[in-house]
Amino acid sequence: MTDYWLSKLFFDLQSPANAAEYRGGRAKVLARYPELKPELRAAALADDVEVLAPHVNPYLLRYYFQVVGMPDKEFIGRLRALKPQSLKTEALKSGAAHG
Amino acid sequence: MAKLVGVFAASHGPLMARDWHILPSAPKERLDTAFRELGRRLADARPDVLILVSPDHWVNFFINNLPSVCIGVGETHDGPPEPFMKDFQRTLPGEPGLAMHIVKTALAQDFEPSISHRLTLDHGFCIPLLRMGLARLPRVIPMVVNDLEPPMPSIRRCLAWGRLLAQAVASYPGDLRVAIMATGGLSHSIGEPTMGDIDEPFDHGCIEAFRDGHDAKVIEILERGLAATGNGGHEVRNWVVAHGAAGSRGFELVDYLPVPEVYVGCAFAAWRVAESLQEAA
Repeated sequence: MTDYWLSKLFFDLQSPANAAEYRGGRAKVLARYPELKPELRAAALADDVEVLAPHVNPYLLRYYFQVVGMPDKEFIGRLRALKPQSLKTEALKSGAAHG
Repeated sequence: MAKLVGVFAASHGPLMARDWHILPSAPKERLDTAFRELGRRLADARPDVLILVSPDHWVNFFINNLPSVCIGVGETHDGPPEPFMKDFQRTLPGEPGLAMHIVKTALAQDFEPSISHRLTLDHGFCIPLLRMGLARLPRVIPMVVNDLEPPMPSIRRCLAWGRLLAQAVASYPGDLRVAIMATGGLSHSIGEPTMGDIDEPFDHGCIEAFRDGHDAKVIEILERGLAATGNGGHEVRNWVVAHGAAGSRGFELVDYLPVPEVYVGCAFAAWRVAESLQEAA
């Protein structure tokens, strides 16, 4: 299920200035998102792909791990280890269209 | 009256810009040749205006405001914000007259697009423009199609949007030559367990359906295929808009090559454009 504040954090980190600040100290930036759920805050601090992936658009997930400096090879490896049913992308494959 | 003079499509993976300098020579040369061939054909069509159909990669829109379709009606649009596109031009001239005519034509036919008077055109819009090597960039009308976050417009609706674009161009009183460029696809997978995979059977199915030109086949292939392929495949919706605008007369594939280094099944095409609206109907 989409988490608004996690998505908002990842969206905001597309700004180079925000990204640089986040890389310099995640806690200070995360403090600006008081409504972010504690388990997702912890997952962001821990680079926990498995916990984060079900709650955010996959493109934003990729942006985030680029921002924190995870090489694509490692990111892809972590994605491949996930259980498909735990992913947000599965919702996309089932009933994505509207008129 | 305005005239539709060309309909094209090209893939647009960001690594085609960010990692261009480190791509292996063989795929890089083929990509370069394909982009430049599209650029040559586009230049030969001498468009005054280019309608660009692309997703927005979380640049203009977020989940607090996420249109299915947005038409850029502004006099000016901003260039790509991505650092790897910093050498591309910072602003692009728009075409408000035709853009607003498209919007009004759409509303008159019970379509409800969002509009923007100033869009930022990310790599999806601009990589084909960068790589085609155009000596002169036409004025642009961006059309954002939500290909990234469900729920997305149906394939049938994208086809209808293409028909509507052609109708709007044909009914515009200005003396303009208009081309359409759809960007994105074919198969790729971003931020999901299949990231990096290229679904060649899906790609070849799309190519065959667009080449044959039968709407029912395009719809069937995509409604079935998109449920199983990687999330980037949803950008083929933009190709469906182009297919509809061209009157479903089939296309010429300029090239197709799966390029693992950019994670994309890369395709480049030019449609045969219907001579009249009656032919397109």
